[in-house]
Amino acid sequence: MDWTEKYRPRRLQEIAGNASAVRQMYEWARDWTRGSKPLVLYGKPGVGKTSSAYALAHDMGWEVIELNASDQRTRPMIEKIAGSSSRTGSLTGASRKLILLDEADNLHAHADRGGAKAIVDIIGESMQPIILIANDYYGLARELKAATEPVQFRALQARQIVPRLKQICAAEGVVCSEEALAWIADQAGGDMRSAVNMLFAAAIGRNRLTGEDVRTVRKDERSTIFELVAALFKSRDDADLLALSYEVEDTPDTVEQWIEGNLEHLPDPVSRARGYACVSRADEYIGHTYRRQYYTLWRYATAVMLLGVSRAAGGHGIHGRIMPPSRWQKMGRSKRQKAIRTALTNKLSIMTHTPPETLREEFFTLLTLLVERDPARYVRELQLDADELNLFLQDRARSAKIVKDAAKEAKAAEKKPAKKRKANPEEPAEEETRQNPRGQSTLF
Amino acid sequence: MLYIYASGSLIADHSPGRPVFDAIMSDGNIKTERMEGDHTIWIEKYRPRRLGDIVGQDDIVVRLQSYVESGSLPHLLFTGSAGVGKTTAAVALAREFYGDTWQMNFREMNASDERGIDVVRNQIKQFARTSPLGGASFKILFLDEADALTTDAQAALRRTMENYAHTCRFILSCNYSSKIIDPIQSRCAIYRFRPLGPEAVVEEVSRIAGLEGLAVSQEALDAIVYVAQGDMRRAINALQGAAILTREIDESTIYAITSTARPDEIDDLLDLAIGGDFDAAERTLRHLLQHRGIAPTELLNQCYRALVRRDIEGGLKVALIDSIGETDFRLSEGASSDIQMEALIARFVLCAGKYA
Repeated sequence: MDWTEKYRPRRLQEIAGNASAVRQMYEWARDWTRGSKPLVLYGKPGVGKTSSAYALAHDMGWEVIELNASDQRTRPMIEKIAGSSSRTGSLTGASRKLILLDEADNLHAHADRGGAKAIVDIIGESMQPIILIANDYYGLARELKAATEPVQFRALQARQIVPRLKQICAAEGVVCSEEALAWIADQAGGDMRSAVNMLFAAAIGRNRLTGEDVRTVRKDERSTIFELVAALFKSRDDADLLALSYEVEDTPDTVEQWIEGNLEHLPDPVSRARGYACVSRADEYIGHTYRRQYYTLWRYATAVMLLGVSRAAGGHGIHGRIMPPSRWQKMGRSKRQKAIRTALTNKLSIMTHTPPETLREEFFTLLTLLVERDPARYVRELQLDADELNLFLQDRARSAKIVKDAAKEAKAAEKKPAKKRKANPEEPAEEETRQNPRGQSTLF
Repeated sequence: MLYIYASGSLIADHSPGRPVFDAIMSDGNIKTERMEGDHTIWIEKYRPRRLGDIVGQDDIVVRLQSYVESGSLPHLLFTGSAGVGKTTAAVALAREFYGDTWQMNFREMNASDERGIDVVRNQIKQFARTSPLGGASFKILFLDEADALTTDAQAALRRTMENYAHTCRFILSCNYSSKIIDPIQSRCAIYRFRPLGPEAVVEEVSRIAGLEGLAVSQEALDAIVYVAQGDMRRAINALQGAAILTREIDESTIYAITSTARPDEIDDLLDLAIGGDFDAAERTLRHLLQHRGIAPTELLNQCYRALVRRDIEGGLKVALIDSIGETDFRLSEGASSDIQMEALIARFVLCAGKYA
């Protein structure tokens, strides 16, 4: 039997790492009432999201009904399975049924049409606890995020992975060297399932494992891209350099990013200019490759950037550390920014009866100026959250504070409507706008 | 050999050594027949049946054999370029696991035929969830060219791999593992198949030549290695093509049958162009393209390979490779190959002049 299934944790206390996430789940389950928001477990693959959900159900004595991307998840389908079970009791007498929507960020645009909306509706009506699982929290539909409570699962440390591997080795009667275990844990990159798989793949048919034995299973990818970048800056034979690049698992577009990220190591402005010229030429080939699906062009990208940058470096070597491309971090951030911006534009578009493109192109500057002048009011009117307000203000701390104050004020207004009314004459304009129905805001 | 059948029986035997696949059936129609022995495609005929017969991937073979011995198997991901043994390894693994009944519990699907999410939700799930036959403890689904699956389809595959792990193991093959989403990589043991080295190609080609009773010269073996570029399929096809023409194979047969220029012809062309003699270079080019019938893209490929190894100033080398790339791109966009190839030679001459 597959070890990842055989040794999947059955109870919450067996989950490696992510103690605070597990505690949050347990408290949620313990205090669960019909009004509780569903949880969204999110994080990278193999950190224990699905296992934790099953373990929680086991500890609570709940049944699990799972829907994942291998099931069709159109609206009728989700309603049929999750909807009916969420409103009815259990046959086997289990106290509750946990509805588990795995891969919630992977609802297919066409095959799963209406799926996200159906989930939101079911959340609203459910008589049973629901857990959603996703890799990419920002890939979730906005309505889903609003209706749920996030629980983050972090990548595991090597020191959290090794003990688990040792338990498995003991149970299977495999003697595995510390070096091999450390290597596997390091290679897994925080992914427990991958670590267990590597151990399994290496251990089948053996009862003794050394560092050498585990290395055939997966090649050390990161070290080769580091090697390639290092070789590039030393003088190396051209054919060797290209041969090394075939050893790297990454595609030329990734290699390009690494090279570009390290061009600052070139000794002087002239060589740097040469380096950039080659990378930019290579970039054209990469673009053509994808545009035309003509993968032969890849080799020109590889040759031009490797040989070109190698020549520009002139055997100078790298003095300092080889860094992963900083662009990735930036791209991660800008992806999030983009998601927020799109969500906000769509919301405004509905409120103002204006197409999203028009809003983006013609109204954004104006809106920014208006929001600057009276942020609190716009927070109330447009129901902005801190991220959205920050798009206008570009000041994270201030945005957070304004949104917080607005929320406090709104709560106070709910509790003491009489008092609030007294305070109002000072701000007559605001009162007027508040009485306007949504969608006909006077702001536009 | 040419067999001619009348009413299904053999009546004549012409031109020995030339395999022809047609036979005339009793109703007078011509039927294409694949005959075991002479007329099958050699890459099928000589595809290794056992893991131990696979050449050039020793580390991987040893691990796969130990999976067979212990009777257990993780999900596998085979990565590597074409013709390095991924499919052969998967099929041989299944044969050794199940013996004669291997076809009952092994299914091969090519993901590039059907790459959408429905294929995972329907066909793959259907196969994975039914129980294995003949007392086997699990079935094997071999998903060839899995990198052709859309991201959505791959996402649909991930829980399927876990939920049906008790009845089915997956072997995925792909050219680039970076096109397989992380959650799937996390579920597989990854094996990287390297391009085959010259020794492995020579070993296999010599074995087949021996069984077929062919005489292959050392130069011809070198030529096959050059043509194959680490791809066993290409090597064996070149050998079979040459064997159709003659039983005694030399290098010129190999270059002719594969429409490849000899490496020294390519060197001549580059020497002339870099030396600044446009007219002579252009004559050589025309000879190769028109008289030898070498395809323009193949010529570009060979020039590229020769240039990478050539000992010239680095800046010139990059400029020349860039010129080849530009020409390749223009050809792919539909430009005229005659004009573009001549322009390439002209650009070689100009670049060489600049760096001289």
